[in-house]
Amino acid sequence: MLARFSEVYQSLSPGLRELRLTLYLLNRNALQRASLIVIAFLVVVAILAPWIAPYPSHAFSATNPQDKLLPPSSRYLMGTDELGRDLFSRIIFGTRISLQTALVAVGLALLIGVPLGAVAGGLGGWVDELIMRITDVFLSFPPLLLAIAIAAFLGPSLGNAMLAIAISWWPWYTRIIRGQAVSVRERQFVRAALAIGAPMSRIIFRHILPNTMAPVIVQASMDLGGVILTIAALSFLGLGAQPPTPEWGLLISTSRTYFLNAWWYSTFPGIAIFVTVLAFNLIGDGIREVLDPRTRKF
Amino acid sequence: MSAYFEIKDLLVGFRTFEETRPVLNIERLAIERGETYGLVGESGAGKTVLALTILGLLPKPAGVIQRGEIWFDGEDLLKKSESELASLYRGKRLAMIFQDPMSTLNPVFTVGQQIERVIEYHQGLRGHSRTQKAVELLEMVKLADAKNILKKYPHELSGGQRQRVVIAIALSCGAEFLIADEPTRNLDVTIQAGILQLIDELRKNLRITVLFIANNVSLVNVFCKRVGILYRGKLVEEGPSPLVIREPLHPYTQTLISALPRDRSERPRFSGFELKPEAPQGCPFYSRCPIGVEFCVQQQPRLEAVIRPEHKAACFLARSR
Amino acid sequence: MLRFILRRLILGGVVMFGVALVTFFIARVIPSDPAAKWAGPRATPEQIAKARAELGLDQPLIIQFGTYLLDLAQGNLGYSLRTRRPVALELAESLPATIELVLISTFAAVFIGLPLGVLSAKYKDRLVDHLSRLFSIGAVSLPTFWIGLILQLLFARTLQWFPMGGQLSTEIKLTMEIPRITGFLTLDSLISGNFVILLDALWHLVLPGITIGVYPVGLVARMTRSALLEILSEDYITAARSYGLQERVILWSYALKNSLGPTSTVVALSIGYTLVNTFLTETIFTWPGIGSYVATAVIGLDYPAIMGVTIFSAFSYVVLNLISDLIVALDPRVRMS
Repeated sequence: MLARFSEVYQSLSPGLRELRLTLYLLNRNALQRASLIVIAFLVVVAILAPWIAPYPSHAFSATNPQDKLLPPSSRYLMGTDELGRDLFSRIIFGTRISLQTALVAVGLALLIGVPLGAVAGGLGGWVDELIMRITDVFLSFPPLLLAIAIAAFLGPSLGNAMLAIAISWWPWYTRIIRGQAVSVRERQFVRAALAIGAPMSRIIFRHILPNTMAPVIVQASMDLGGVILTIAALSFLGLGAQPPTPEWGLLISTSRTYFLNAWWYSTFPGIAIFVTVLAFNLIGDGIREVLDPRTRKF
Repeated sequence: MSAYFEIKDLLVGFRTFEETRPVLNIERLAIERGETYGLVGESGAGKTVLALTILGLLPKPAGVIQRGEIWFDGEDLLKKSESELASLYRGKRLAMIFQDPMSTLNPVFTVGQQIERVIEYHQGLRGHSRTQKAVELLEMVKLADAKNILKKYPHELSGGQRQRVVIAIALSCGAEFLIADEPTRNLDVTIQAGILQLIDELRKNLRITVLFIANNVSLVNVFCKRVGILYRGKLVEEGPSPLVIREPLHPYTQTLISALPRDRSERPRFSGFELKPEAPQGCPFYSRCPIGVEFCVQQQPRLEAVIRPEHKAACFLARSR
Repeated sequence: MLRFILRRLILGGVVMFGVALVTFFIARVIPSDPAAKWAGPRATPEQIAKARAELGLDQPLIIQFGTYLLDLAQGNLGYSLRTRRPVALELAESLPATIELVLISTFAAVFIGLPLGVLSAKYKDRLVDHLSRLFSIGAVSLPTFWIGLILQLLFARTLQWFPMGGQLSTEIKLTMEIPRITGFLTLDSLISGNFVILLDALWHLVLPGITIGVYPVGLVARMTRSALLEILSEDYITAARSYGLQERVILWSYALKNSLGPTSTVVALSIGYTLVNTFLTETIFTWPGIGSYVATAVIGLDYPAIMGVTIFSAFSYVVLNLISDLIVALDPRVRMS
């Protein structure tokens, strides 16, 4: 019942109003506003890392053994690690790594998933059937497991971890795009293009794709939190970033030898992951709430 | 002293992100005991909102009752708590039939389970007597082979059968006031007549009062004593159905009626609408009105008796013709 | 009904075949020299040549895949590079410990997450809903392995309420005879009536259980909430309210039965997450299960072991989803179509 009212409401003047509404609703909720600010802040930190970090050289291989495993102090805000490196500086550089790798991994997944989905939905028939069965197979692996296996066989490195995540993540986007494409295909302008004899490839990439991108972009931005978590998990297992990269998951992994006597070593990188992922998830939740007419608050 | 059922000065709004937008604004609507009142309006006029408001089932938090009273048998329903409404009114005294019989029946329970749950809840019947009562109810709505139908799932029944089941459930616990919200909207024309006849018979036999909601004047004419015309949440005309249909006073009613197919070769008076700008301060119908004058932009017409005391219209120009 | 089950089973078979194909690709096609991986990082050229012959790498891919399938069908997952023992055997040995953990956290997910989601939907936009959503979104934002470390730091190291890790205390392991009947420590001690061991085993389950359960609890709560909200906006719910049925009845019986499908999907998904979370947590708690096995294998690049765990987990997950699909078939709507 409510859905019908909101439909009528939306039809009044879609487009611009929709965008305004979304921003308004996201901005109205204090938590989501805070998350937007946190994400903006993290992006700034990632970009300005070399200038913000008190000891930029500590981020990678420089060592400082005389200050090893010091608790947080005014000199080392978050303490130091087993090689005497400033944890605060390393976590700041870690922001850069996490955001970058997450973006690249999601981007790669989009690069594989989107064209496949457009082709499946655009062409239909056995091509569609084949591509969808392939996504079925990929999605029937437990989450993370496929990424672990691929990363292990590609060889442990951050680049391979990104690739592994992309390979295990793309089917989600294929499914969304395919669903969208099927409904767009039925629309008049696509039929018109077919009628004047435009080739299918052109129709798919000129007409169908642009009209299906919006929901996928939304989904991809909501996925960033999960991807950051996955990268950290791979690094924790030793399949992602390798020392001396200051990746958060790797920091926690190395801290395991020392953390019982150096609580700060595991605690701070974990908080960094938590805050980042939480901010992305809250925004994702907000977007979903706003886009869904059932849960939408007027 | 208010009537058996009476709505006074009701204002219901829907919250949007910018404002609360009024969707229903009824100054007075009264129904006598045993009467059948027809409420007609196009989709979006606020008919379903009215039905849900009476039962206290407005979707929350979007729907807001801003002010007003709804009197039913001496009590103001809007002052009742949710639990009072649920335990004393809904199902027991007030009942509703919805538009789409497919979506009003729960797809994962059999017809029997759904009827018996309501009977058990309201009348405390169990076991054999409960099943017996369910069979009686299905027979009351003229469903052949009632015992068999109890065991079926909603999707195994036809549209007409489903709507009969819905009526049976709605009336299972002795409701005296029935809101029928376009009960034949999604049914084939041949089945519509049967359902309408059934509702009319039940009204006579069970002596219930019916608020019959429709989007079509001709449906109402058949068995409603009085009819109200709803336009954008407002009653624009009200009166005995034959009168309203023969001599519509409000231009909106006139267009509704002229749109009906007729036997007589009379030509429709208005063939279409010339859209004019909205009149936010004035008559809600102004933008579509074929006869509106400048005065209509400035003030809102009230529902007032024109010519005969029982026939009312909310139009400044109704009296002048 | 029978046709539906048959269709599902065939589809499940197709998916399993696909899973085998994908794992085959990962193990034999992606690496430039699969034999080198199979023989291990410090293998001599002779060992690599032997592995090449063993894997049949000189044969065409299609024949390789055939033998690969045949091996899988016989439960032959190869030999661990580290221990030189059959991977299948080692998996079987470490399975019970992991199942205990998975069961505990799935219980938590169902008995905490599900009611939380229902409450959240019932009191949508009220305080309860806000709190429960904040909790569940927090739960899915926490890195599982970090929860484990923090719990150890707080409850094992600082407060000393719970043990740091392991399945049993050292004293008990040294002084008592550990019953071995089914391989499940808690079950075995229960059967043999040894409550000292049972208590100690449960004691050791608490921290890893919480660690692994946090994510699934949040996940189930979130998904239950949205599934239920969708159902609660259906017309038949409004109709049920118009009959005067109580909210309690509507929510717990009328609506929950409609959400059988989404719920069983959620539970299957949450078991999948739980399984993977054991990979990240068991080493922290020195828990002798599959998670520790795979973590050790990853560090030593023990490829046959990694592959074995992957195949085994994927197959169990497919079976799990198949079961959840069959539960969905209890829904009369699905059965009819």
